[in-house]
Amino acid sequence: MADLPSSPGLPAGSDAPAARGERLRLATVWLGGCSGCHMSFLDLDERLLALAPRIDLVYSPLADIKTFPARVDVALVEGAVATSDHLELIYTVRARTRVLVAFGDCAVTGNVTAMRNPIGPAAVLQRAYVETASAGAGPPDDVLVPKLLARVVPVHHVVPVDVWLPGCPPSADVIYAVLTDLLAGRPPATGGLRFG
Amino acid sequence: MTVRTLVIDGEPVGAREGETILEAAREHGIVIPTLCFLEGLSAVGACRLCLVEVAGAPRPLAACVTRVAEGMEVATDTPRLRAYRRMILELLFAEGNHVCAVCVANGHCDLQALAAAQGMTSVRFPYRAPARAVDASHDRFVLDHNRCILCTRCVRVCDEVEGAHTWDVAGRGAGSRVIADLDQPWGTSDTCTSCGKCVQVCPTGALFEKGRGGGEMTKRREFLAYITTARQAHRWIR
Amino acid sequence: MNSRRIVIDPVTRIEGHAKISVLLDEAGRVAEARFHVTEFRGFEKFCEGRLFWEMPAITARICGICPVSHLIASAKAGDAILAVEIPPAAERLRRLLHLAQLVQSHALSFFHLSSPDLLLGFDAPPTERNLFGLIAHHPEVARAGIRLRQYGQTIIELLGGRRIHPTWVVPGGVATPLLPAVRQQLLAAWPQALEDARTGLDAFKRVLDAHAEEAAIFGTSPALFAGLVDTAGRVEYYEGRLRIVGPDGEAVAEGLDPTRYQDYLGEATEPWSYLKFPYYRPYGYPDGAYRVGPLARLNVAAACGTPRADAELTEYRQRTGRVALSAFYYHYARLIEIVHALEQIGRLLDDPAILDRDVRARAGRNRHVGVGVAEAPRGTLYHHYEVDDDGRLVRVNLIIATGQNNLAMNRAVAQVAAHYITGDDVREGVLNRLEAAIRAFDPCLSCSTHAVGAMPLVVDIVGADGRLVRRVRRDPAATSR
Repeated sequence: MADLPSSPGLPAGSDAPAARGERLRLATVWLGGCSGCHMSFLDLDERLLALAPRIDLVYSPLADIKTFPARVDVALVEGAVATSDHLELIYTVRARTRVLVAFGDCAVTGNVTAMRNPIGPAAVLQRAYVETASAGAGPPDDVLVPKLLARVVPVHHVVPVDVWLPGCPPSADVIYAVLTDLLAGRPPATGGLRFG
Repeated sequence: MTVRTLVIDGEPVGAREGETILEAAREHGIVIPTLCFLEGLSAVGACRLCLVEVAGAPRPLAACVTRVAEGMEVATDTPRLRAYRRMILELLFAEGNHVCAVCVANGHCDLQALAAAQGMTSVRFPYRAPARAVDASHDRFVLDHNRCILCTRCVRVCDEVEGAHTWDVAGRGAGSRVIADLDQPWGTSDTCTSCGKCVQVCPTGALFEKGRGGGEMTKRREFLAYITTARQAHRWIR
Repeated sequence: MNSRRIVIDPVTRIEGHAKISVLLDEAGRVAEARFHVTEFRGFEKFCEGRLFWEMPAITARICGICPVSHLIASAKAGDAILAVEIPPAAERLRRLLHLAQLVQSHALSFFHLSSPDLLLGFDAPPTERNLFGLIAHHPEVARAGIRLRQYGQTIIELLGGRRIHPTWVVPGGVATPLLPAVRQQLLAAWPQALEDARTGLDAFKRVLDAHAEEAAIFGTSPALFAGLVDTAGRVEYYEGRLRIVGPDGEAVAEGLDPTRYQDYLGEATEPWSYLKFPYYRPYGYPDGAYRVGPLARLNVAAACGTPRADAELTEYRQRTGRVALSAFYYHYARLIEIVHALEQIGRLLDDPAILDRDVRARAGRNRHVGVGVAEAPRGTLYHHYEVDDDGRLVRVNLIIATGQNNLAMNRAVAQVAAHYITGDDVREGVLNRLEAAIRAFDPCLSCSTHAVGAMPLVVDIVGADGRLVRRVRRDPAATSR
């Protein structure tokens, strides 16, 4: 996607938060996915206790900050871009984040969330809200309920991505290695990771 | 037998006349990634993953169908080739509907493994998301067009090894697809012997055994070497 | 006309994407409250054409939190299509995997997501009210929660090959038998897990009295309760018959065959949410609102059937009455269920029959319809498949646990809103209590909308003409206008 604006990119060496003696400002974002990648993050288990003093979780479905803050060092973005809400959020995330990590197969490829693409949103809504419903007025139509996009797309088809982390979900060990690299200001090694 | 001497990746290599660059390289332990190629079947140079650079050639050549020549200088792993290979893989992923996570061949798929080996962690091209069918009319096997990369291994093994020639490719361009007999449901084919060779050689989850769940379709390819050795050398070993 | 709409966006620390809106009347009293689910992925449609054998792997991806429940329900629907009886060891192993998931999922819900409210306080700074705040202020509770979840996840990993989205459960049974060494490893870690569950229960009981107000207010509106029970009326997660009781504890329906759910359950839609509204047909919509999940299961069942859990259940009922109405007690019920699940895990592992190597029945498609039902952590889960002669899906219907709490969640939000909100004086802690009312149900929205995020928490006060009258942002960094 050559016409997209470039990202601020990976923090290098002395530029890394750890080198500045600061905690890493980490955000985790959940777009169209199953939350399995977030669960894999929690699978860090007791390593979470060790990470806690080095990280500020500044935005996450696991936390209560409702506005995506400024100056985020790393954002782990789970899920594909599937609704108008996702689209709005991902632009904000990109604008305020230094290193955007496409976190898991849905963010990287669209994966299962994109399985509706050959059919399109109208048919899936018809099945769920008309054909299998026994009462009601059909698919949602309210300003608070976002529209499904015509096509589900991976994150980097909308905004530039710095690191791709494939896997459904990526294992806790992989997540830990990437976070450790980013804390140290190294570009994470993701070569050899496979989809699925 | 005439011997040809060539240079692959800076190493002098001896090869028999008529051999391909791929065969010569493999005999010397040089790994060139392949996808449509399978030892025991004819080579068709369809997927272009085995592209190599040959000094003096205006463009990269497919190692599986290019014969060795005296004094040939071959490079198998250059930045340009790596970029092409990555692009080929990305195009394959963008072209069909490859959802590795829920595929029967997850963990046992040549396409998935090649992407990992080539460091392909994302696809830059728009996904086509074509509407394709699943043919489950055969009692024992399933053909899922969503996962077919048109490598024609199935077509070749059915024709060259089994001798049934059930499979062919119909259509053009993006509309190309593998068909059974006269473009009919596989289960109604008169020629299919239900031998399952096509299923075993298929590099992806496009052909699989009915009843397999996610990641359960492992592919067994040893039979191919067994049959070819038996036919050519009359030795019934693998 | 001066009615106004207050919006909480997003609702956080729940497993999904949602907003809450509160509509005020002219006098500034709460007229209506809505829980909007904002995600939808469409599994029911895009699975068409796939083979039913593939469905466990696909439907596991509905939810990263409770993939195992989908594996189980999907494989059971597959068993029905194969028309086979699965080997006894396969059933034991499926139960073990499912109980392990109940432990990890309940631990996540209580320790990782809800306990920050309970232990740090509803009025604690939003920047602290999360797992990392818990680690900083209550490290021992946090550690117990992490370890307990880890125990469940480890069982899943050792049986199924991976922690999230294992594909080990298959139509006809499971893919591989249990290895003796794995059984020993899981037995060895068992006592610590039980102790960690005890830590959670103790912590909860300490805060229960301090939150008497919340306990009394959190969604006490009457509703039906539904859950599976065994032949002796005990809590059952894998099989059993559906029992529905009223708010007085009297049975409304008994012995319902869950595979015939369509006879007695309907699904309604509303234009303001992607989450559908299942209801008990004989009572109609919306009067047929019912609740599922831990609270409902304990209300519906006579007992758990294991000694430690039954002792806890007795104490629980002394505190809540025979039928617990307040959604606040979901937490309590969840912790008792963890103990119950661990006891059952112990029993299953103690029995050498679980090592039997015959774990898979093989067959082709023998029927055209299969319904698979199980008690997921959040309530009863239904997978309903119809296939063609070749085994390809022609119709898929999924009724997910959380959806069945949708009507009750909306009522709970309305109740909390009515109690705390008058006029446009909306304090931060009040908004969090609204969210907590939802959180208590532990909605798994990944599942229920077959979907799965987050945005600013904004309270929009909207005039009846749709004009924004006032916007209050909860984030301290943001400004009001």
